[in-house]
Amino acid sequence: MNSGFYDIVVIGGGFSGLMAAITLADEGKRVAVVSRGNPVCCLSTGCIDVLSGHEDPIRGIAALPDEHPYHLAGEEATVRALGMFSDIMAGANLPYMGDVHENRTIFTPLGTQKTTCLVPRSMESAHDHGDDYFHVVSFRGIKDFYPSYIMSRHARAGSSVYDAGVSATSAIAERFEDKTFLRKFISWLKGLDIPAGSIAIPAVLGTRSAPLIFDEISREIQRRIFEIPTLPPSMPGQRLFSRLKNTFLARGGSLYWGRDIASVERLGDQIEAVTIASAGRPSRVQGKAFILATGSFVSGGLYATMDGVKETVFGLPTYLPDGRSTWFNDSFFVPGHAIEKSGIRVDSTFRPLHAGWSNLFVCGSILAFSEVMKYGCGHGLAIATGVAAATMCERQV
Amino acid sequence: MPEMIKADVIIVGGGATGCGIARDLALRGISHCLVEKGDFASGATGACHGLLHSGGRYVVNDPEAAAECIAENMILRKIGQKCVERTGGLFVRLPGDSRNFRDRFLRSCDTVGIETEVLSASRALDLVPTLNPSIEEAIKVPDCSIDPFRLCMLNIVTSQKKGGTVLIHHKVRDIIREKGRCVGIRVQEDATDTVTEIRGKIIINAAGAWGDSVAKLAGNSVPMTLSKGSLVVTNHRLTNMVINRLRPPSDGDIIVPNEAVCLAGTTSIPVLDPDTLEIESREVDIVATEAEKMIPAFGTTRLIRTYAGVRPLLKADGANGRTISRGFRIIDHHDGMYSIMGGKLTTYRLMAEKMSDAVIRHFGMKTKCRTAEIPLEGQDQLSGYPLSKRLKKLENILCECELVSREDVERVVATVGTRHIGDIQHRTRLGMGPCQGGFCTYRALGVIQESGRIGPDESMKMLKEFLQRRFKGIRPALWGDQLREEQLVESIYLGILAMECEE
Repeated sequence: MNSGFYDIVVIGGGFSGLMAAITLADEGKRVAVVSRGNPVCCLSTGCIDVLSGHEDPIRGIAALPDEHPYHLAGEEATVRALGMFSDIMAGANLPYMGDVHENRTIFTPLGTQKTTCLVPRSMESAHDHGDDYFHVVSFRGIKDFYPSYIMSRHARAGSSVYDAGVSATSAIAERFEDKTFLRKFISWLKGLDIPAGSIAIPAVLGTRSAPLIFDEISREIQRRIFEIPTLPPSMPGQRLFSRLKNTFLARGGSLYWGRDIASVERLGDQIEAVTIASAGRPSRVQGKAFILATGSFVSGGLYATMDGVKETVFGLPTYLPDGRSTWFNDSFFVPGHAIEKSGIRVDSTFRPLHAGWSNLFVCGSILAFSEVMKYGCGHGLAIATGVAAATMCERQV
Repeated sequence: MPEMIKADVIIVGGGATGCGIARDLALRGISHCLVEKGDFASGATGACHGLLHSGGRYVVNDPEAAAECIAENMILRKIGQKCVERTGGLFVRLPGDSRNFRDRFLRSCDTVGIETEVLSASRALDLVPTLNPSIEEAIKVPDCSIDPFRLCMLNIVTSQKKGGTVLIHHKVRDIIREKGRCVGIRVQEDATDTVTEIRGKIIINAAGAWGDSVAKLAGNSVPMTLSKGSLVVTNHRLTNMVINRLRPPSDGDIIVPNEAVCLAGTTSIPVLDPDTLEIESREVDIVATEAEKMIPAFGTTRLIRTYAGVRPLLKADGANGRTISRGFRIIDHHDGMYSIMGGKLTTYRLMAEKMSDAVIRHFGMKTKCRTAEIPLEGQDQLSGYPLSKRLKKLENILCECELVSREDVERVVATVGTRHIGDIQHRTRLGMGPCQGGFCTYRALGVIQESGRIGPDESMKMLKEFLQRRFKGIRPALWGDQLREEQLVESIYLGILAMECEE
């Protein structure tokens, strides 16, 4: 069996896990991330929702219920963690814009406004345009983008369709990486002679060199341009994830990608190692401490049965609201179903309660009471608790 | 739309019974107009198992209904060759199930004329490998699977060819009476509120669970017992044969394969109002647990939806929903109105025949029923959704689960002229697969919007209504992988698309 020895093993390669891993790698620790595959942040808008229900998301933390995990990180540490995130992204050439003390809105493909906080530069001018004219560009055959939805809300908007020769979101984004294609698109856009106002484009403006493509179009057109994040596959989500992953690797981290945990080795109150399944020989990954960042139901950190909720890696005790008939509201449109409260309860050092492990820390949306849909705090909470749990973990090792 | 429609017979209700009557009358040359408040099959017809009974289910307690079932089963196989799937069925006996019931079952099948074959457990497992290996034995019967929605559409093809008028999404507002007789109805279209008057000599009330409220519009009444039955849908096909439990009819004792999925049910709970059906988590637990006893994989399979229908049963004092006869009855209200009630999907044709015979007698005619001999028309166009058909062109796919293309949606929009997402779902299977329209409904509405048929505001309203309806359907069975899927859909519509900001 292959063996790897690390200071810290992070289980879960999503937003929170990678933030924890980068924090620890920065401190000179030997860190491994074990992940099943691309995380759910790839499906997201790529924007950082910190706390959407308040004008100032940081001040809003104080108003959250006592048990909300944001309190474990605290306001100051959350601001620092968000600052760290912005620095990482600036360094990875995907700068994020915005003020952590101020929420903003971006356009959705339905023409509604989504409240968020930090956004990639390509969405900086995607705020509500009131009655100002703006022009929506779409692509021939694209499945998840219908300008008519947007125009239903904005009577003064216009639209045009470009034929990119391909119709899948990711294929169009890949075409933009080609200089010749980009120049053709720019000259088509110039030829439209759009009278005034901003230009809205679904988020397909490139993959690896996304901000440069956006910058070049903006410079050539001399007009405010913004991207509208689409349904999965979401390019802004994938850009965010790949930058985080590359940053972790650049800082000396090790990745075990596309693998499931097959077994866990324990000694007393310590987790010693995990064995990960692979097509060839299984690998044993040993660590002095472990961070669990496997996310909630969508990413598989939690799994609900007919009458209970399981934590899928260590079998940690979970918090669960009463019986299944109380898990959901009647309305689809009222976020905050009771089931979203379920997850792992932790102490002030992010160690799971009633589990008996001294070297295991938990962060991200698997934490009980996080209710990320209800509060609009998914990525913000991932960053804040990822960094905070890493800090607690580092003190121990 | 003319201001007034005239027809000899007005049929109220677009379930299997109503559509069957329309076809029968069409073949006998009687002019008719059918009105339905929703889409075809939107009541009990569309909310049943889609099981073309061999009669086995009823043979011990209700041999008369069982005899009707087997006779009709054989007729429908013949006239609906391409819309009946000859799956065959098994009655499986689990450890602890009464041997005595099994003996009575076999004797009754013999008496009624239902062909049976007793199979050892290992032979049954050869036929259906997913069966519980600890079954004692199985009895093979000629059950089949049938798509109730398609069945209604096929009956309507004949009606329309012979000049029948068919109005869906039209609700009966009142019944016009003159000199103590019913002479017509007024219907209202639900999207536009347009009212149309229809005049006829006879009104047939085939409104199923809504039969009593239709009868009341004319001052009549129809004694009925309404019994709710809830079912669950799996994300794939766990068996290629119908599986029944060999015991007296009870909750969760039938599993039916249908297209790419399986349906399991049912429960039987008395209700008063067919319009406000709630499915309780408890019912889902019962159906899923009972189905798991017959096919263990049920316990680990994703349940993608639940639904409930109301059985409009004949009223019988003291009997419960399980023991009331599945027979049917025709009531002559002696004022130009007839009500037809009870029965089953399997016997819809026979019900339509008897009803049409009454109409013929009323008119003093002697034309014979021909629905048992002439194959259903339009089966080639409407012969289901075979994969080969859908794989022909894999471009512009809007619904990845069921491979429905943008062109398919545009065709339905153009031909049906629909304003309802449900009409598209029924006619293309868009949104019927594992994601239950989580992704493609947004797309289909975008396409309808671009066709200019509905305004953006309207499509937004439809999207909201659809999502709420979808959520209501899957809420009672949300756990496991289905919960994951649901939370993903929630994060798309509420997170990425910010739909909660509406209103």
